[in-house]
Amino acid sequence: MSTTLQPYLKAVRQTLTAAICLENFSSQVVERHNKPEVEVRTSKELLLTPVTISRNEKEKVLIEGSINSLRISIAIKQADEIEKILCHKFMRFMMMRAENFIVLRRKPVEGYDISFLITNFHTEQMYKHKVVDFIIHFMEEIDKEMSEMKLAVNSRARISAEEFLKRF
Amino acid sequence: MILLEINNRIIEEALTLKFNNAAAGNKPEALDITIADFDGVLYHISNPGGDKTKVQVSISLKFYKDLQEHGADQLIKREYGSFLTTPESGYNVSIVFDLEHLPANRDEVVKKAGLLKRNCFASVFEKYFEFQQREENSQKRAVIHYRDDETMYVEAKKDRVTVIFSTVFKDDDDIVIGKVFMQEFKEGRRQYQQAPQVLFSHKEPPMELQNTNAKVGDNIGYITFVLFPRHTSPAARDNTINLIHTLRDYLHYHIKCSKAYIHSRMRAKTTDFLKVLNRARPEPKNVEKKTFSGKTFKMN
Repeated sequence: MSTTLQPYLKAVRQTLTAAICLENFSSQVVERHNKPEVEVRTSKELLLTPVTISRNEKEKVLIEGSINSLRISIAIKQADEIEKILCHKFMRFMMMRAENFIVLRRKPVEGYDISFLITNFHTEQMYKHKVVDFIIHFMEEIDKEMSEMKLAVNSRARISAEEFLKRF
Repeated sequence: MILLEINNRIIEEALTLKFNNAAAGNKPEALDITIADFDGVLYHISNPGGDKTKVQVSISLKFYKDLQEHGADQLIKREYGSFLTTPESGYNVSIVFDLEHLPANRDEVVKKAGLLKRNCFASVFEKYFEFQQREENSQKRAVIHYRDDETMYVEAKKDRVTVIFSTVFKDDDDIVIGKVFMQEFKEGRRQYQQAPQVLFSHKEPPMELQNTNAKVGDNIGYITFVLFPRHTSPAARDNTINLIHTLRDYLHYHIKCSKAYIHSRMRAKTTDFLKVLNRARPEPKNVEKKTFSGKTFKMN
């Protein structure tokens, strides 16, 4: 299973590097406004074809590009109940702090667990290759963190049950 | 601190302080403490009638009536005999200590006072353990509503005593974490043969409680303990009671600890991510430049 991880991340990295070529583009619809076109979706000619990269049915990444913005949605592997609630809690925790995170979107896109929105303003202030590095790092670390938290809950359960029952 | 303490430390420390004070011959001071314990139990330590030489400890349990049905009064009398007095208004049991005539075995008495709550519970268990030791079936099931939405059922058969706790999970995530814990409890027997059998039923009451009007719901769980003769024998009895009566609080305490731990991990990870993201920002360059004629100016 883990043999698919590296090609998966490589594919995501290369797609991102290609899609993150953004330039400033004022809104064609409303005067003097500048909106992320991937969110507004009013003009079809400004949107690129969305690309989905799947590792399996549960884990996938959706990359939607446009002329001045890029939206990345990630679906995280959740094998059982406890992973589901851990994932849900963690994503909610981070999305509440979306302002600090700058590139994080407050609500995930339908069908995914977390979404990022990168605009041309972000790429003007930050190094593009480092932003891509961050996203890839994020994807790796999330899986690790989930398994560690699940392990912690399981071991706490085992130890407390043991302590309790061995006294009988 | 994995296991919860069954005695109330506040009572023990307050009484030890008072007793040591009196033993050293100092003038007694006024005392008025109200303490809360698990399951909605309240204690009140005070000076009855303003008499500073006497210290009264009262306990109030919302479900004392249920316990009285099973002989709580007799057990309390047995344990605290000489110290019992008429219960304070609003409380169920009161014991009073005279600071001028301190009992000889001060530490033991203080320990006993700290176990007030445990001794109130003990009566139900002891009665049903007796049934089992005599190899009788208990005719009635004991029902104790020890919390607002939660009940405890005790029943004795010839070769076992079953204790069933109904517990409410206020949060949906608690249900999932609770299930993980109960899974481990169920498998405890594999490692420790001496442990009682534990069963868990989510949403619906277990077989033993079918046809009673036990609650059903998404967030309700039923934990069944099957105690065998080796747990109910007079030698092991006290230990068993100590462990069983705080089971519900033990479970919920550990669920909350897990949630707190998860939360602190999430916090740590989030700051970690923020650090990585901030590496993407180029460092602000402060460049000092000089012109041909020698003027220097700073560029941001």
